[in-house]
Amino acid sequence: MAKTLNLTLKVWRQESAEAQGRMETYAAKDIPEDASFLEMLDIVNEGLVSEGKEPIAFDHDCREGICGMCSLTINGIPHGPEKKVTTCQLHMRKFKDGDTIWIEPFRAKAFPILRDLMVDRSALDKIIAAGGYISVRTGSAPNANNIPIRKSTSDAAFDAAACIGCGACVASCKNASAMLFTSAKAAHLNLLPQGKPEKNRRVLAMVRQMDALGFGNCTNQYECEAACPKGISVDNIAKLNRDYMAACAAEAVGVY
Amino acid sequence: MNAIVQTACKFVTSSIGRKIIVAVTGACLLAFLVGHLIGNLTVYGGREWINNYAFGLHAMPSWVLWSIRLGLLAVALIHVIYTLALQYENRNARRQYEYRNTIQATLSSRTMLVSGCMILCFVLFHLFQFPAQVETLDGRPDCYALIAGAFANPFCSAFYIIAIFCLGCHVCHGVESVMQTAGLSTKKIRPLYKIASWCYAVIVCGAFISIPVSVLLGIISNN
Amino acid sequence: MIDFPTSDAMPSACIPEGPIEQKWTKYKRDAKLINPNNRRKYTVIIVGSGLAGGSAAATLAEQGYNVKCFCYQDSPRRAHSIAAQGGINATKNYQNDGDSVYRLFYDTVKGGDFRAREANVYRLAEVSANIIDQCVAQGVPFGREYGGLLDNRSFGGAQLKRTFYSRGQTGQQLLLGAYQAMEKEIAQGHIEMFTRHEMMDLVVVDGHAKGIVTRNLVTGEIKSHAGDTVLLCTGGYGNVFFLSTNAMGCNVTAAYKAYKRGAYFANPCFTQIHPTCIPVKGDYQSKLTLMSESLRNSGRIWVPKSREVAEKIRSRQIRPSDVPDEERDYYLERKYPSFGNLAPRDISSRAAKEACDDGRGVAVTGKGVFLDFSDEIRRMGREWIDGQYGNLFDMYEEITDDDPHETPMMIYPASHYTMGGLWVDYNLMSSIPGLHVLGEANFSDHGANRLGASALMQGLSDGYFVIPATLPTYLTSVKPGAVTTAAPEFKAAEDAVKERIQKLFEVKGTKTVDSIHRELGHVMWENCGMARTEESLEAAIKRIPEIREDFWKNVRVTGSADGINPELEKACRVADFLEFAQLLCYDALAREESCGAHFRLEYQMPDGEAKRNDEKFAYVAAWEFTGVDSLPILHKEPLTFDNVHLAIRNYK
Repeated sequence: MAKTLNLTLKVWRQESAEAQGRMETYAAKDIPEDASFLEMLDIVNEGLVSEGKEPIAFDHDCREGICGMCSLTINGIPHGPEKKVTTCQLHMRKFKDGDTIWIEPFRAKAFPILRDLMVDRSALDKIIAAGGYISVRTGSAPNANNIPIRKSTSDAAFDAAACIGCGACVASCKNASAMLFTSAKAAHLNLLPQGKPEKNRRVLAMVRQMDALGFGNCTNQYECEAACPKGISVDNIAKLNRDYMAACAAEAVGVY
Repeated sequence: MNAIVQTACKFVTSSIGRKIIVAVTGACLLAFLVGHLIGNLTVYGGREWINNYAFGLHAMPSWVLWSIRLGLLAVALIHVIYTLALQYENRNARRQYEYRNTIQATLSSRTMLVSGCMILCFVLFHLFQFPAQVETLDGRPDCYALIAGAFANPFCSAFYIIAIFCLGCHVCHGVESVMQTAGLSTKKIRPLYKIASWCYAVIVCGAFISIPVSVLLGIISNN
Repeated sequence: MIDFPTSDAMPSACIPEGPIEQKWTKYKRDAKLINPNNRRKYTVIIVGSGLAGGSAAATLAEQGYNVKCFCYQDSPRRAHSIAAQGGINATKNYQNDGDSVYRLFYDTVKGGDFRAREANVYRLAEVSANIIDQCVAQGVPFGREYGGLLDNRSFGGAQLKRTFYSRGQTGQQLLLGAYQAMEKEIAQGHIEMFTRHEMMDLVVVDGHAKGIVTRNLVTGEIKSHAGDTVLLCTGGYGNVFFLSTNAMGCNVTAAYKAYKRGAYFANPCFTQIHPTCIPVKGDYQSKLTLMSESLRNSGRIWVPKSREVAEKIRSRQIRPSDVPDEERDYYLERKYPSFGNLAPRDISSRAAKEACDDGRGVAVTGKGVFLDFSDEIRRMGREWIDGQYGNLFDMYEEITDDDPHETPMMIYPASHYTMGGLWVDYNLMSSIPGLHVLGEANFSDHGANRLGASALMQGLSDGYFVIPATLPTYLTSVKPGAVTTAAPEFKAAEDAVKERIQKLFEVKGTKTVDSIHRELGHVMWENCGMARTEESLEAAIKRIPEIREDFWKNVRVTGSADGINPELEKACRVADFLEFAQLLCYDALAREESCGAHFRLEYQMPDGEAKRNDEKFAYVAAWEFTGVDSLPILHKEPLTFDNVHLAIRNYK
């Protein structure tokens, strides 16, 4: 039998979007070390349900670190203390017996809390809807190998595209800025030859949408990069700044 | 023309646009500091040198002098006002955590507002203090006496040193941040910028601080 | 043996006449069209936003239809297609290694153990190349060679390189392509997107699927949505086993409700078990994590030859590396010399189970085998291995705390994909007119077993290319907007949903939903998992109604129906799994043969290979609902193979 832990949890509870939230304390007993963080919450919830209490609501789905649905801030750090993992891939062996763990939702004005630890991240979808795509009608695409793409370019585009849209960048930023998310999508598409024709339009539309949604401004602390479970680089932010200047210039002279 | 004005308006109200303006004005101030420092360092050449330098500055045609002054004022004001506006938005965008933590943000980056305010206070004090107290020597202002006199007061020196220290802290993040905002940063160059930031902070601020220290040590004195 | 009622009545599969190579071309040539200006008059309801739903929504909206799309996640980008790691097949033949449409078609039919419909599979192979073109144009960053052209890998037992990939994230990148296309249409108002909405029922008016009833997972509101056609793209039902590689939210509810409304459920017993998952650790386990099958290219699978050594490894008296080569049983290499460690999924899975059932398993629970990279690390070097599998090794270490460089990985099969699903014709329309089913939710293309890297292909083929061409066939037969939510059928369905939810709250028992789901999963895995017998299936068929009764007597659903209530969501899903599980076992019992992933211990060759019975079972078993407690009616769609030779699969 694997080792077990006894922990104290301080958890944010909030009945609904409008309700006042508060931290509540729970004891998590006999948690197997091999359990994942969310499995630990499952165990706590099973206990709560059998006592007839309302379980802690939290977002989760794939539990293999790719869907981007899980979203807890653990001891003040989105997705917890481990680098480059999502909450669902964080395992309890990273904690010590007797630890007190603070669990809060991703906090940002643009991510209103829905209940307990669940937040509404639809603002990120709206940024994509503004321009985070390449317009290509189904069936009108040329042969895939018609345009060779330098491997390093393709790899860089992939690195940016690895973003899972979890919003940890926003949650970790003291300004709740969505620059890392926005810049990663813009960089992914702007780097590729297929994305070039729409580059300026895309950059302007995405940045303006991001501003309109109430996100803060980047102050280059790079907390986002450190919190990102996929290690998206802040180089993308520098690129977005560059691309935005160029796009504004192009727009001003009317050639975008 | 209309399109250009429209775009310009959008640029100066956008998040990235304003950050770029803060970065550019910050860069101007960084350059000014270097100039100012070179001037100040003439104090080590003796009373003649610095007084000549001060006289030379004032001997410029007044429109040039005032253009520089007003230009600097404008740059500083824009830097401050835009920063405060961004800061206000940032505060509004954020919801505080009950348990606060950071992963890797530097102290310098987290204290930009505090260090900036400190610098602002100092600048205001600095502007009033020095021109107001100038003694004259042979009909020309005696800057040397002014410096040696003011810094002989340990409180005045301490305030100056603390303020410059804040400046060092501010530019430490500032230099690197300017590069990132201007889009000139990548993972590979970033460590170089970091070194440059530190070099700038240490050399420029160290040189500024050396003056009151020299006064207190008696290397520069009115006697 | 249960005597299932059978019926000869079967809707036509609507397969176009002519040689197989020309069927799709001919279909498209003769298909009805809808004038672009008239398309916006048609409302298309799409449930699910994965590869099938997302690509269908984007394409249909682009063409001008009025699309309403629903997903239970908080964003369409999170559908579980995102978790596919390995790749997507296509007949591009960029490698010049002899690939062709026919060969992919043949491999798929053969891989599916001759239980798929030829015409559908051929069409899938035909459009596969277009998918790659489309995705590259959307900006999907596929792996490339230094010359700038697309790279391919060999995957899942294929004898050639036809798999396109994006490192270990192919599913995510393809889904993002579809999602981005969708968001574009959402911004333009062509798609109305309903996130955090779960479909609770299908509404059938005058025999046609005309809408759905949904529950808003945030407000708890039960609401009707009417349309001219409904597309179910709701994925598979692997979570019937409780533990699977599926996401926590994956469920059978949408498909099962459609079944209850009259859609035939085809081949539910064809459930694929994936051989390379991380073994179970304990009772608290919530899901199983897949390690990409590509690892089998470099790893060697083994267990100790003797039970004593296995026991010593389990109790950690010796380390795996202490076992000398001659005491190791590289059972796949031994049994299948030509395919070795790359033998198809069902074969590798069963072989692992056999070894563990023999007492030679190596995980703490006894259910695990080694996947050993030490030879490859010696041969190619650690750096090369990290270049190929670095992220997978990291992920494995994160979960298990073992470094696969130092000690072999432990793997065990887990429920992964479900080939069965709602029966559809060539138009992807189910037996309810107007109800179309796409992707994993339908049964059509994979037969009894799916080849690696074919799921992504099928989802996108259905969504991007097939449904846009076949949907007008149905739509031109109906008057757009003829049915609204004012129809009494909507009110009745809404009331039934509310009543069922009320009933769940009223049980006020003591058991958690998860504990009952876990119990169901255990029964299914033990009795209807990798190997099935008449006895085990009958035991499950007896046990499932008991668990169902237990559920309706003893479950405890906390909270209220208004607002967010994850316990209620789970309860609604598990309630359907508890009914559906029985159908799955019925199908497994009725199919008295072994084929593909369906392995009946009674029907095997002397050497343990699956023994098909083509004379009696070369058909699609399409089940019709008659009531929860009564036996479903078995309809048979005979399968004919005019273009491939019905052969025994041989991977030796």
